[in-house]
Amino acid sequence: MSKSQPKRYEPVNAAPVKSFFVHMLTRDIRLEDAILDLLDNCVDGILRNREEKGAARAKKPYDGFWAEIEFQSDSFTISDNCGGIPWSLHDYAFRMGPRSDRPEGASGSIGVYGIGMKRAIFKMGKRCLISTQNAKDAYDVEIDPDWTNDESDWKIPVRPATTRQPHDGTTVYISDLHGGVAKRFGEDAQAFQRDLEAMVATQYVSIIDKGFRVRINGELIKPRPINIVFDKKAIRGREAIRPYIFKAQSNGVQIFLAVGFTRPIPSQDEVLQEQEEKKYSTLDAGWTILCNDRAVVYCDRTELTGWGEAGVPRYHTQFIAISGIVEFRSDDPAKLPTTTTKRGVDASSPLYLQIKNKMRDGMAIFTSYTNKWKLRPEESRKQIEKGEQLSFEELKAEALHLPLNATKGTVPQGEQFRPSLPLPAKIVPSMRRISFTKRVYDVRKVAEYLFEDPEVDPSDVGEKCFDITLAEAVK
Amino acid sequence: MKQPAYHLRANKAVDRLTLIDVIKRASTLDTHTGEYTYYGFGGPYLEDFRLLYEFYPEIRMISIENNDEIYKRQVFHMPCHSSQLKLKKTEFKSFLDQYDGNNEKSIFWLDYLDLRYAWFDEFMELLTKVSNGSIIKITLRCEPGDYIDKCEVDAGRKKAEFRDEFRELLPHSTSQPPADFAGLAKLLQDMIRIAAQKTLSAIMASQFFPISSFRYADGAGMFSLTGMVCAREDVGKAKHAFGDWHLRNLNWGTPSVIDVPTLSTKERLHLQRRLPCDRYAGRVLRRALGYLIDNDIRRTEGKLRQYADFHRYSPYFMKAVP
Repeated sequence: MSKSQPKRYEPVNAAPVKSFFVHMLTRDIRLEDAILDLLDNCVDGILRNREEKGAARAKKPYDGFWAEIEFQSDSFTISDNCGGIPWSLHDYAFRMGPRSDRPEGASGSIGVYGIGMKRAIFKMGKRCLISTQNAKDAYDVEIDPDWTNDESDWKIPVRPATTRQPHDGTTVYISDLHGGVAKRFGEDAQAFQRDLEAMVATQYVSIIDKGFRVRINGELIKPRPINIVFDKKAIRGREAIRPYIFKAQSNGVQIFLAVGFTRPIPSQDEVLQEQEEKKYSTLDAGWTILCNDRAVVYCDRTELTGWGEAGVPRYHTQFIAISGIVEFRSDDPAKLPTTTTKRGVDASSPLYLQIKNKMRDGMAIFTSYTNKWKLRPEESRKQIEKGEQLSFEELKAEALHLPLNATKGTVPQGEQFRPSLPLPAKIVPSMRRISFTKRVYDVRKVAEYLFEDPEVDPSDVGEKCFDITLAEAVK
Repeated sequence: MKQPAYHLRANKAVDRLTLIDVIKRASTLDTHTGEYTYYGFGGPYLEDFRLLYEFYPEIRMISIENNDEIYKRQVFHMPCHSSQLKLKKTEFKSFLDQYDGNNEKSIFWLDYLDLRYAWFDEFMELLTKVSNGSIIKITLRCEPGDYIDKCEVDAGRKKAEFRDEFRELLPHSTSQPPADFAGLAKLLQDMIRIAAQKTLSAIMASQFFPISSFRYADGAGMFSLTGMVCAREDVGKAKHAFGDWHLRNLNWGTPSVIDVPTLSTKERLHLQRRLPCDRYAGRVLRRALGYLIDNDIRRTEGKLRQYADFHRYSPYFMKAVP
């Protein structure tokens, strides 16, 4: 070899490695979220299907469509009647990641990254059969461990379906489950099903409310809607319990925001009780964020949604009655402020940050009301109970009749309704609240002495003691 | 404060005695009973401690009680020397925060009088703290009447409150408190199962499995489940120790009923010679008595079947003239 001859370098191989997709990408997502990715595909199928039929904007766009999830210790299946995967989309549906020439998704879809279905499959098992039927196309795609292990072969065999289904749709059957997944589907089945049901009931609350039916191991999932109090009978311009509403449109994204009360504000006793012992009322408080009908955040009570920032107090049990919903809707899912997993909001999105200002703005009205009325919860209760609890869709319909004012000074520009909530009359100075703490045992003892019932409400015990002493004092 | 007459509750007494059997069988799993420490909420009479001391004097015992007066009564009713039984005056939650089960096998009886989410919370916290081989018994109020009301609105509110309070553990979001005792007991068992699965999920090294579960009513309905925490790979072996116990419920099956009949001592002694009786126990014992002890043959045989199942555990209550 000549001394002067330079060493030759071969071009390096930068081809993707399958194991990256199979073993690494799947670490970024929880099992429950991977399953929800498959459910998202069902929803996207509905929208594609409905759009082709020109009915995507119907009031109940998901009516008549269903998805069924079945899992056991050795397999997972999700099947739907949501239209199937058209053969024309096969190169996009089965590719790892989105192609740049990918046709735009159906309007209103949420999928944008082209990894959900594949990631979900690899998350769960080593073998998968996808059977899909769309109009004249009916085909099966099978992924097996040999394909996964062969780094040179990226093509997946496709064969015509052997049978015709009564409806267009897709079935994904996954077997050879990974050890951890098999255990969760087997030994932890009850807890896993409960958690998955709760996630579907909250994150698909709007979609199920609009007609979609989801079953998990045969159990039909009921949505957990957030209903906000709206006093319809209030005379225009008068004080009444109504939500704050903001509507806007920005760069192809429609925004609708509503925040208000879901229930009467709690009494001081309820607040103390809630703090001492984990109860339930807090669960429905906070902000829910919908992106194209999908709840990406559910009942959040942190800085993410404006609590404890810029004049809004930190979340406290005192505020268990306050809930808000923000809806972002766009034909281009890439414009929505959601994360890749669709299980969170992109907190750095300029659009979201702008809307967060309005969320805080609206929320402050209700935290302020709560603080003003917290010593007179019974009077406040009467005001709140005058109103009806309206669903998000009912609120949107009601907003059409409200006197909305333009918000010219804010970005994005939009329209808002700022409710005029009742203000407490100045507290009569002759009345004072008395509050003190005594040992439970002693309170019960006094209750038994005064009422012959140790279970009497402690505030009644205290009041009775005061009344007796007062009667003696004025003798 | 009114306290339930623990020592006069026949069905509860049976449930208490089944724990003695569970300990006996658990001790065949490479464990000497002296390795255990028993923790309970013994009530004013420390009945479970008295029983435990009678059968297993080598087991160390700790009673947890927060009420001043009950604590004083416990001091009065100490069944043994304080070297063997320690009375702690504290809330169970505070006790649990300090408890470190790493170096011992424990037996806990979480004997609650009512039904609250907080009790499941304490159960879940305990699961994360006990060492393998430990036994946990949890007893909860299981009274369908708590959720029934003549007023439809109030009944709906009670059911909604139940759903809201326990939804983290309900098998389905639509689960309602069943109107029947058996159904509510099964639901509580499912909730305990979910609590256990959430806390010791299948990817963890330890598992909680049930050994027995009962429902009974000496007044209000109660549900009582006993289980064991053990290394996942040892579950088969541990279950084997209870495999031939006639009161076992090792796979979260339907909870058994404890409803022992009230029989006189003379009747019991008369039936004793026919027991145990595996087949047609109800009929055999009815014929042995020669008369009905309930409204009809079916009910009488049902009661006597119960007696056959639990006769070894049924307490004798006798009048003593001082």
